[in-house]
Amino acid sequence: MARDLGILIIAVLVLAATCESAVLSPVSESHRSAALELFSPADGSYGSLEETYEALKTFKVLGIEKKHDIRTSSCASVADTLKSTSSALKDFVDALRVNSILKCELNSEAVRGTQSRFKDSLNGANSLIDFYYSIGGLVLLKEQMSEVDVNLGDADRIFRSIKALGQSDGRWRLSSNNPESSNNAAGIALEALAGVISLATPQIGNSLITTLKNDILKLFDGIERYDDGTYYFDEKHVGARGHQSPLSSSASVVRGIAAVAAATSETLNLPGEKILGLAKFFLGVGVPGSAQDLYHQIDALSYLENIRQVLWKLTFFRALYNKAHPDLKIYSSDLDFVAALVRVSTVLGSPAPTLSVRLMQIFVSGSKDASVIDQELKFDAVSGMHVLETLPKNIDVGSYVFSFEVIFHNPEHKKTYVSGGRTRVLVHITGVIKIDNAEIVILDGDRGSVETQKKLKLPGDNTVALSANHLQKLRLSFDLSTPFGNAFKPHQAFLKLRHENGIDHIFLVGNSGKKFEIILDFLGLVEKFFYLSGRYNIQLTVGDADMENSFLQPLGFVELDLPDAPEKATRPPPQAVDPYSRYGPKAEITHIFRAPEKRPAKELSLTFLGLILVPFFGFLAGLVQLGANLKSFPKSTVPSTFAILFHLGIAAVLALYALFWLKLDLFTTLKALGLLGMFLMFVGHKTLSHLASTSSKLKSV
Amino acid sequence: MAAPKVAFLLLNLISILPLLVSSFSPDRPTDRRILVVLDDLSLKSSHSLFFSSLKSRGFDLDFKLADDPAIAVKRYGQYMYDGLILLSPSTERFGGSLDVEGVLDFVDSGHDLIVSADANASDLIRNIAAECGVDFDEDPSAVIVDHSSYAVSETEGDHTLIAADDFIQSDVILGNKKIEATVLFKGIGHSLNPANSMVLKALSASPSSYSTNPSSKLSSQPPSLYGTAISLVSVVQARNAARIMISGSLDMFSNRLFRAGVQKSGSLNKYEKSGNEQFITELSKWIFHERGHLKAVNLRHNKVGESEEPSMYRINDDLEFSVEIFEWSGSSWVPHVSKDVQVQFYMMSPYVLKTLSTNGKGLYHTSFKVPDVYGVFQFKVEYQKLGYTSLSLSKQIPVRPFKHNEYERFITTAFPYYGASFSMMAGFFIFSGVYLYNK
Repeated sequence: MARDLGILIIAVLVLAATCESAVLSPVSESHRSAALELFSPADGSYGSLEETYEALKTFKVLGIEKKHDIRTSSCASVADTLKSTSSALKDFVDALRVNSILKCELNSEAVRGTQSRFKDSLNGANSLIDFYYSIGGLVLLKEQMSEVDVNLGDADRIFRSIKALGQSDGRWRLSSNNPESSNNAAGIALEALAGVISLATPQIGNSLITTLKNDILKLFDGIERYDDGTYYFDEKHVGARGHQSPLSSSASVVRGIAAVAAATSETLNLPGEKILGLAKFFLGVGVPGSAQDLYHQIDALSYLENIRQVLWKLTFFRALYNKAHPDLKIYSSDLDFVAALVRVSTVLGSPAPTLSVRLMQIFVSGSKDASVIDQELKFDAVSGMHVLETLPKNIDVGSYVFSFEVIFHNPEHKKTYVSGGRTRVLVHITGVIKIDNAEIVILDGDRGSVETQKKLKLPGDNTVALSANHLQKLRLSFDLSTPFGNAFKPHQAFLKLRHENGIDHIFLVGNSGKKFEIILDFLGLVEKFFYLSGRYNIQLTVGDADMENSFLQPLGFVELDLPDAPEKATRPPPQAVDPYSRYGPKAEITHIFRAPEKRPAKELSLTFLGLILVPFFGFLAGLVQLGANLKSFPKSTVPSTFAILFHLGIAAVLALYALFWLKLDLFTTLKALGLLGMFLMFVGHKTLSHLASTSSKLKSV
Repeated sequence: MAAPKVAFLLLNLISILPLLVSSFSPDRPTDRRILVVLDDLSLKSSHSLFFSSLKSRGFDLDFKLADDPAIAVKRYGQYMYDGLILLSPSTERFGGSLDVEGVLDFVDSGHDLIVSADANASDLIRNIAAECGVDFDEDPSAVIVDHSSYAVSETEGDHTLIAADDFIQSDVILGNKKIEATVLFKGIGHSLNPANSMVLKALSASPSSYSTNPSSKLSSQPPSLYGTAISLVSVVQARNAARIMISGSLDMFSNRLFRAGVQKSGSLNKYEKSGNEQFITELSKWIFHERGHLKAVNLRHNKVGESEEPSMYRINDDLEFSVEIFEWSGSSWVPHVSKDVQVQFYMMSPYVLKTLSTNGKGLYHTSFKVPDVYGVFQFKVEYQKLGYTSLSLSKQIPVRPFKHNEYERFITTAFPYYGASFSMMAGFFIFSGVYLYNK
């Protein structure tokens, strides 16, 4: 079997302990780069001393050599703050905190001045914040200046007055006149109390310390829990300091507990499960995006590591090796592959003490059956990883849950380390699946005889061209088997037929054992295919998380000849319009104008004009021929004047007609014609009656 | 040394900016005040890169927990925000007065929305998405699985972390810079309602993807969503220019996936950093109207050779038409240069549809002849381009026929008729003289 595996690539992927959460990695390089990015000083210094402290502390825990030279500017600002008399108590504390990391050379006069400030405010303190800063300041002074006298004579009184702010559920109030209590305040109070304990001379009574320890345990009773075993301190209280996120209040509590643990040098007997849960919470945040969150996360993790070493099991896949992949490290020369690698480290990524990791059980994913194995992983000192060199014999391609357990070599470590018991890890064993006997067949409906048969190469290029009518069937079949020859059922085995017009039909390919087969009886599918004849492209998709060679393959097409749709057949669903074509510019439209009327050539019209004028000239010639004259035109003055006016009037009417044609409109013409008409009536009557009387005279003569 | 100074200056600027431009207005279409609704305040930290990129671009973010009783987008009939980001996939109902109708009214009044669902998305989020034309897979346990284009990972092996690179082809939506690295996606898929023409796939799944519960075997039914029909991230631009982004993955906004390296299965290209940051940032620029917002001004028309705008055209007149189109660049209006702006001369249907030519400085112009049909026409500019706000302008203008005296008067063809009349008239004049005075 191992030989079979030799020709494969086997990947072992490791997933989360439970399906709900991802594998959490300890603090790593990404935290360091994030820290450098988030805490980048502007102009060589940070905005405030508090920010400076957060940056320095984070860098220190992460082991970052200070890249930015901020020492000079920060020390100057520390000295300024300490000298100034107007600075707030908080600024003194921040200055001293920065100093505790940077170790600036300070003027001892100034320091002595701050000491008296702290003591004064301690005596007058009535709120938790006041206590916290004055005691915190004194503790810092004690650490930094051994010559300064910071011992508290009335430590018991101070202890009790802080204690008075505590609530029965382990939470604390910020001041006596503020009834709201919070986890964040609890952390502050614990830190202050730890300070009192360390400063007290003579020492605080044991009974007080015992009640304090009980308070801490009570605080843990109120811890919130997620389903995946993550614990955190929630914060409902929105106080003067704004909304505290669960991250900052959990960090505050962790800081308080760590301070108490350090001050009392007693074991607190904290529940290991919850400490690990808190570590999960802080790591579960991932790489925070804000500087303050990063500080809270890293700071709290560093304290968690000190209270009790928390181990983190990071398991990952790597590995496989094959001669085709020489770049992967070969951990073992005589084995065909290396399976799971387990790295055990503390939450901050530092190496774990000597221990061994054992693979206890293997479950087939999704079932309860477990094969019990007790196999110790080999420790590889060079890489610091525990290596599972041989997989148990019955493991094939598939998903399994491996259950690992950490066993300490030194029994003492059991007390100081929390490891979280068994860790269950989802492991995918992947491999190349063999595909055989792939063929696509068109069967005749009635007899089931084979009409067309095409062998397929899977995966590979196939372009089959088939045709079928509604009385025939299409059969696609192939065999899948694991490298060990076992049956393999992929999660995804789809056959897709896509009609030319874009309508998809998808079918699951079922199996019996190794053989996968689907028969499409087109007679039963005509309704589903909306009676659409035409070309259907065939596509086969076979895929699984454990299958290295998942594929999506066009196989070719089948030309279907289906009967015409009856009246009541369902219409195919509307297809989404392609967005790119929907928005393009439209085709231009130009208006088609009415064609101008057809006209004869100009010459033709003019010729006809000439022809039209011929009768007029004929008429004139006729008159001349007949000897027409104007001899009877009246000779006397009056009738001749009327006759001239009459003919001028006719000429004027004719001229008006010509003008009407040239420019005038109907209304002007009619008006003028009316006037001319009256004039013509008058002169016409005179002329004609004169002519009539002349002719009657002639007749009578 | 210079960089911190610039950063400091920028910070100052950013703090002043909200004072200068207090809110959204037609003159400055970019949003300013944004309400971010979270179902867990830890998202503020775990998704901080996304938020800080918004803050650095001058947005004023207001974070609220989804069950905060003070949550509201409207006060005294006035909207207090220009945009809404719902990163609360599991919220069944909002704490305050906000509900599905409230969110839809917010969008209907032209405001922008980013919604992210996730595995086990609540009905509330599904309903909001459905109203926007996006249907999430109804199976609550289904997520997108893709066995062919998943992101190679050391710790995850169920192929639910998708490496998607089928982006929408639009520079205005996703920026000029091509997104090289694939985008990591882990969540649920949706399909688009084919009847909705406003919704677009910004990020599509690959043909081999499908929506299923990865921890259980498929039953006899094929999955309801598969292949390229699945949209991972969709965008909507409503007619009122409100923009909506709907994503099926909350993780794709997270710092973890912003910073994660990515290698798509079967590909040798390995990217130090996934395309998520670029994709999300560019998309959010579009959503919040930092890009792709157009305005049209100075719609003018006149007869060729004149400059005054007439009250009416006669058929067959030659006219000139011009309009100016500007695009909002995030800080100022710059000329919009495009070759596909068209004008319609429209009465019931377009009589003339012409592509405008541009001078590259925002002015679009053309000239054409008025059709020989009279009636009440409109100049219409209907400009719809993928990713841009749509422009819809119209100006009414009547077109009259020729007056009776505007027809042609001296038609050569008619000269024989005229000749006949006038020769007739001349004959009559001569004849009347001859007839009366002949002896």
